[in-house]
Amino acid sequence: MVQTVMTIAAEDEMPVGKRRSSLIRSPQFSSLVILIVLLAVFAIADRNFLSPLNISNMMAFLPELGIIALGMTLLLTAGEFDLSVGAVFGLAPVVVMLLVQNGGWAIGIALLAGLVLCIAIGAINGLIVTKIGISSFLVTLSILLVVRGAALYITQGFPLKSWDQPGFFVTLLAGSFNIGAFRFYTSLWWFIGLSLLAVYVLRYAKLGNWISAIGSNRSAAVARGVPADAVKIWLFILTSVLAGLAGMISAFRISAASPVAGTGYELEVIAMVVVGGTALTGGRGTILGTIVGALMLRAIRNGIVLVGVPGLAYNIFVGVIILAMLILHALLQKNAARS
Amino acid sequence: MMQEVLRLQNLQKSFGSVCALKNASLTLKEGEVVALLGDNGAGKSTLIKAISGFFPIDRGDIYVRGEKVSIRSTREAMDLGIETIHQDTSLAPDLSIARNLFLGREPVNLKWLGVFAPLDLAKLRDAASALLKRVGISKKLDADALISTLSGGERQSIAISRAMQFAARVIILDEPTNNLGVEETHGVLRFVKEMREAGHSVLLITHNIHHVFEVADRIVVMRRGEIVAEQTVADTDLLTVESLITGADLSSLMKRAL
Ligand SMILES: Nc1ncnc2c1ncn2[C@@H]1O[C@H](COP(=O)(O)OP(=O)(O)OP(=O)(O)O)[C@@H](O)[C@H]1O
Ligand SMILES: [Mg+2]
Repeated sequence: MVQTVMTIAAEDEMPVGKRRSSLIRSPQFSSLVILIVLLAVFAIADRNFLSPLNISNMMAFLPELGIIALGMTLLLTAGEFDLSVGAVFGLAPVVVMLLVQNGGWAIGIALLAGLVLCIAIGAINGLIVTKIGISSFLVTLSILLVVRGAALYITQGFPLKSWDQPGFFVTLLAGSFNIGAFRFYTSLWWFIGLSLLAVYVLRYAKLGNWISAIGSNRSAAVARGVPADAVKIWLFILTSVLAGLAGMISAFRISAASPVAGTGYELEVIAMVVVGGTALTGGRGTILGTIVGALMLRAIRNGIVLVGVPGLAYNIFVGVIILAMLILHALLQKNAARS
Repeated sequence: MMQEVLRLQNLQKSFGSVCALKNASLTLKEGEVVALLGDNGAGKSTLIKAISGFFPIDRGDIYVRGEKVSIRSTREAMDLGIETIHQDTSLAPDLSIARNLFLGREPVNLKWLGVFAPLDLAKLRDAASALLKRVGISKKLDADALISTLSGGERQSIAISRAMQFAARVIILDEPTNNLGVEETHGVLRFVKEMREAGHSVLLITHNIHHVFEVADRIVVMRRGEIVAEQTVADTDLLTVESLITGADLSSLMKRAL
C-alpha cells in the first residue's frame, strides 16, 4: 500500500521506512528543496545576499508576515481564508496610537483595546461566514474594505508617529539584540514560539485533527460531533489577532503607524501558505511548509532587489516564481497520486 | 416483552415550503432491526438526520428509553447512544483511517488541556488496527492510509466499523450497501445481525427489499414525509411491500395498513 499524498496529519503515524519515502514526496519537502536552490542562486548571483546585514534584514521582515501566515494556515486547513488581514495589520496600530496620542490612554490599556478590536473583527468574519453561510472570500473582502476605510478615515489618511519611547511593550514586541554580527528583533522569538505552538496544535493536538477534518469534509466532522462553526470562528479570531500583533510589531519597529500599512499583505500571506504546500481547498495544511513558504517569499523579495531586477519589473518576477512553485506542487501531487 | 429504546412521536420538519416530514411516529425496541423503506425523496434521510441531531425538528417528541429528550446536536445524539452512518459517507478524505475512526472521540493524553490535549497516537493506531482486524479488512488496509486512497466500498466498511467501535444503543444505517460489492454487502448484513444479537437496535434504510427480508424484523414504509405502513416481516411478502412503497392501489393498501 503506497502512501500517496502526504499530509502533516498522517506523518507521525507511519512506520519509519515509509515515513522517509513519503517525506521526500511531501509538498513541504519539495518547497524546502526549492528554497535551498533559490538561496543558492541568490548567494551565487550576489555575494551580499548571505552577508550578516542582509540576513538580519530579512529576519526583521520575516516574522511580520510569517506570524499572520501561521493563522492563515490553520484557517485554510479548516477550509476558509481571510482577506482582511492586511487591513487589520494597518488598523490595529493606528487605533492604539490614536488612543495614546489623542485620548491620553496608557499604552498598555490602548494595546488591550487594540486586541479587543482584533477579536471583534475576527468574530464578525467568523460569525457571518458560519452562521449566515456566506463564503469567506466575500465576507472578508467586504471587511477588508470596511477596516481599511476605517483606518484611513480616523487618521484622515495621515501616518501617525508611533510609540518610540523605550519600555516594556516596545522591548516585548520590537526589541532587538545582537548575536555576533547579526542583529535580530524579538519578533523573531514570537515567530518561533508561535510556529512551535501551531505545529503542535495542527499535528499532535485533538484540535488539529478537528481542523483538518472540518476542511476535508465538514459534514463528516459535524456528524462526529465536532463543533465546526465554533472552531472556524476561533480560527478567524486567531488570524485577526495575529494580524494585529504583526501590525503592532511593525509599527513599533519603524516607529510609525500608517493607515495604509499592510496593503496587499493578504495575498502575499496566502501565497506563502500555498507555496508551502497547504491546500487552498482545505483539509491539508502544513505549518513547516508555511515557514518554508514565508522564508521563500522573503528571500525572493530581497534577492530580486539585490540581483538588480529593476524595481518596476519586480512584481513580475515574484508572480512568476510563485506560479512556478504552485505548478511544481501540482505536478508532484499528480505524480504521487498515480504511483 | 422487549424494552422500547427509541420512540418518535409526530415528528415534523419543513425545508422552506417543502414539507419533508409530517407526523412521523416510530418505535424501536431493544434487539430489533427495523427497515425504513420508501421511494427517493420520501423523507427517510430527513427522519434519521432529525434523530441524529443534524438539524432541529419543527415539532414532535423523541423518547430514548422512555425518557423525553431534545437532540440539538450530533454530539448529543452520540451521547445518547445513537450512532449514524449517513448516506453520503461521513469520512474526511484527507485524514488517515485511524484518525477518521476516532474523529470526535480521539484518545488523548493530558485530558485537562481540552481541545489542546495531545492525541495518544500509539493508542490511536493500535485501536484502529485491532478494529480493522475485527471487521476483517486488516489484510488489505493500513490504519495510516488516507481515506482518499480507498475505494467507495472500503470507505463504507470503515464507516461501519466506526459505528461498531462505539457499539451504540441505536445504530442507524442510511443505504449502507450502496456501491458495495457482493462480499462487502454480506459483511454489512452480517454486521446488522451481529448488532441485533448483541442487543442493539438497528434502523436500516435501503432500497433493496431482498436485504430487508434477510435481516429485518419489521418494516416501516414512508411516502411523501409520512409513515404509511408498518408490518412485521413475518406477516408480509415481497409484492405487498413493493406496492406499499410505490403507493399503487392506495385505498386498499391503506385499509390493510390500519
Ligand atoms: N436540506 C434540505 N433542504 C431542502 N429540502 C430538502 C433538504 N433535505 C431534504 N430535502 C427534501 O426533503 C425531501 C425528503 O428528502 P430525503 O433526503 O429525506 O429523502 P430520502 O427518502 O432519503 O430519499 P433517497 O432514497 O433518495 O435517499 C426531498 O423532497 C428533498 O428534496
Ligand atoms: Mg436518503
